[in-house]
Amino acid sequence: MNLKKSLTITIIISIIGIILWEFFWRKQGKYADFDGNEALWATQRAKVEKANPKDVVLIGSSRVLFNVQLNEWEKETSIRPIQLAIPGSTPLPVFHDLVNNTNFKGTILVGVTPGLFFSTVSKEKRPWRWSQSMVDYYHEQTYAQRMNHQLSIPLQKSLAFISEKKGVDGINLKELIGHIKIGNRVKNDEPPFPSFSDIDIDRNVKMKAKTSKDTSFANIIKRVWNNKSTDTTPPKNIDKKGVLEFFKKDTKTFINRGGNLILLRSPSTGYFRNKENNFFSRPEYWDELLEEINVKGYHFEDYEKFKNLDCPEWSHLSATDAQFFTTELVKILKTDGALSI
Amino acid sequence: MLFNSLSFVLFLIIVLTLYYSKLFKWTGKKRMLLLSSYIFYGMWNPPLVILLWISTIVDWTAGKRLAVEDNQKKRKMWLLLSMFVNLGFLAFFKYGDFLLENFVVVMNSIGIDFQAKPMDIILPMGISFYTFQTMSYTIDMYKRKIEPARTFLDFALYVTFFPQLVAGPIVRAKDLITQFYEEKKATTNQFIWGLFLLTIGLFQKVVMADTLLAGTSDAVFGSSKLLHGVDAWVGTIAFSGQIFFDFAGYSTCAIGIALMLGIILPDNFRYPYASLGFSDLWKRWHISLSSWLKDYLYIPLGGNRHGITRMYVALMLTMLIGGLWHGAAWTFMVWGGLHGTYLILERLQRKYLPFKITKWNGIFLAFITFSCVNITWVFFRAREFETAWNMIKSMFYMQTDGVKILDTFTIIKVTTVIAIMFLCHWVMRNTSMKDVSLKTSPYVLGVVWAIMTFLIIIAQGSGEQFIYFQF
Repeated sequence: MNLKKSLTITIIISIIGIILWEFFWRKQGKYADFDGNEALWATQRAKVEKANPKDVVLIGSSRVLFNVQLNEWEKETSIRPIQLAIPGSTPLPVFHDLVNNTNFKGTILVGVTPGLFFSTVSKEKRPWRWSQSMVDYYHEQTYAQRMNHQLSIPLQKSLAFISEKKGVDGINLKELIGHIKIGNRVKNDEPPFPSFSDIDIDRNVKMKAKTSKDTSFANIIKRVWNNKSTDTTPPKNIDKKGVLEFFKKDTKTFINRGGNLILLRSPSTGYFRNKENNFFSRPEYWDELLEEINVKGYHFEDYEKFKNLDCPEWSHLSATDAQFFTTELVKILKTDGALSI
Repeated sequence: MLFNSLSFVLFLIIVLTLYYSKLFKWTGKKRMLLLSSYIFYGMWNPPLVILLWISTIVDWTAGKRLAVEDNQKKRKMWLLLSMFVNLGFLAFFKYGDFLLENFVVVMNSIGIDFQAKPMDIILPMGISFYTFQTMSYTIDMYKRKIEPARTFLDFALYVTFFPQLVAGPIVRAKDLITQFYEEKKATTNQFIWGLFLLTIGLFQKVVMADTLLAGTSDAVFGSSKLLHGVDAWVGTIAFSGQIFFDFAGYSTCAIGIALMLGIILPDNFRYPYASLGFSDLWKRWHISLSSWLKDYLYIPLGGNRHGITRMYVALMLTMLIGGLWHGAAWTFMVWGGLHGTYLILERLQRKYLPFKITKWNGIFLAFITFSCVNITWVFFRAREFETAWNMIKSMFYMQTDGVKILDTFTIIKVTTVIAIMFLCHWVMRNTSMKDVSLKTSPYVLGVVWAIMTFLIIIAQGSGEQFIYFQF
């Protein structure tokens, strides 16, 4: 047995294989980017522990993630916000965590996407579970997990094939095998859900240009949104009373210790706008929320410059519009004295 | 720290560099290994290293006293102290909630209204492994089977040696401590072979268990629906493959890493799914635990020295405790009980219906054994009896209106992987990887090794924990 020879062959073939694999995926249009996973979220959450009263934390669902651009916010205020918004989830568990497990008394901007914000206070339901899982991960993260994440950053930054993406964009072995389908033993009416955004190391998210430029691509995303219901189908989860009670309690604690809370209602169009108008009417939800909570709130409908912003897939702004939205929003906040700076 | 993680890659490179540098003499190297082992464990939860220290100090002291003490009563006291501390750790950390839960059930069943909040105690990683390992030292010392460890450093390193600390193999003192007495250095061939074993172990874990099988078993056992028989069987065989590749993968990594340091650890698996019967299975599956249970439980309970009935009782008790060792749940007891029953039935068959195993009926017998083992895995994997019972009903088609949740490709993928695994075990059952590689051309071995490395890298893995860490 000549193990030295075997090892040499292994090293050579493995290196060649990996280089070819990387080239292959780059040729397919993939590029090195970050995974928007819980470890990345945890690095941002950790920043809150050292944040001062001038700092800003963004929480909410994907609309805050897409629409509030960190670079533009920083340009306007010299403060780079901490992005903690989580797609498809309610911000309540994150807000609860910030209020009860930190001493942070700066500004928290809460994105209010009605269908998610007013959805639930039940720990079992998905909008809550997703948020809570991030919070739990942060608190339970081991030193080994932190180190793994730090070590993975240079790899994520340089190699396209290093990716945790799932579904149609997934390119790790498990996902690639998962793409193979034979027959139709199990009915699957879920349309493909390609990724339509890129995330940066501090969770600054931008919509991919393709989404705003390629209508057929935007239509694929739209099909995901309205796959299971129409804009006249009532949402599965609404618990306005429970949400208001829960949110009010944490808001009181936060405001009492000197914190500054801002609510933001981002633009939506098409299916989402109709659904929100049909089931989350402004007087019954947004206005009542502001009245109950008694903090500053900003609704895109109240500003002429935001009224006509278009969401290519009905829910989020294109990268350029998000930059405009952020710049103008910060100007409004500053004029209004809403920021604690 | 997990073997299948970037932090471990860095950790191992640093440890190997320091180990083979000329910075330290042998004692210094052992100190470095001990410190590394504490870091390896502490990277998960630093305060729980204290448990390792307590276990080490208590068993070191007990061992030392047992070596010089002649008074039988006092010797027994030292042994009991060691058992009390180690089993006490297990009782509190692993079985605390389980005991409380069952106490509440008993109280309520006799009409006493008693409620208790779960203690939610964190389970220290690998506690069942290192407590059993240290107990074997004091028990062997008590029986005067071994010499005491020469130095505290040797003993502490025996308890904590990082490659096998959290999921075995459970190594006996005579097999490991003595290796620390003289300087160890892997030969080039040993080092490369260790690296090859590490690759095989990672391939088993990352590619076979996590990439190809885990999703199917998780989907099936996580389903709240009553499943179609095909789905239940496929989910069960997927789990049987997953747990083998996961656990054997860990053991192979551990053996490979130790070998890279020049330390030899015993085999823990010998192609168990080609076992011819259940006695054979337990000589091939988690060998270090089954031999521990045999030596420290089955034989002290009487073994086969006090008649057939007593032997069956000892066998059943050993298997039930073996089941409970895996987890604090009645489903694990049932798993152990089923294996105990299989072993008893096998002995009865040998007595009343003996037959010769030939190469023609062998593979059929191996398949029957494998199928019976699969049934036990249902109870091992299911979190609740209801799930297990639904699975059993589905598997034997008592469930006619079961839901189909697995697509055709998944069924083909899992059955193919499991069939190949079974045939490989059958072909390899009387040989070893080392023997096969000796007969293989270095070019072929290099290509196979490269393919495994490539697949590990492109599988990436999300750092899934090894299943046996929770035990």
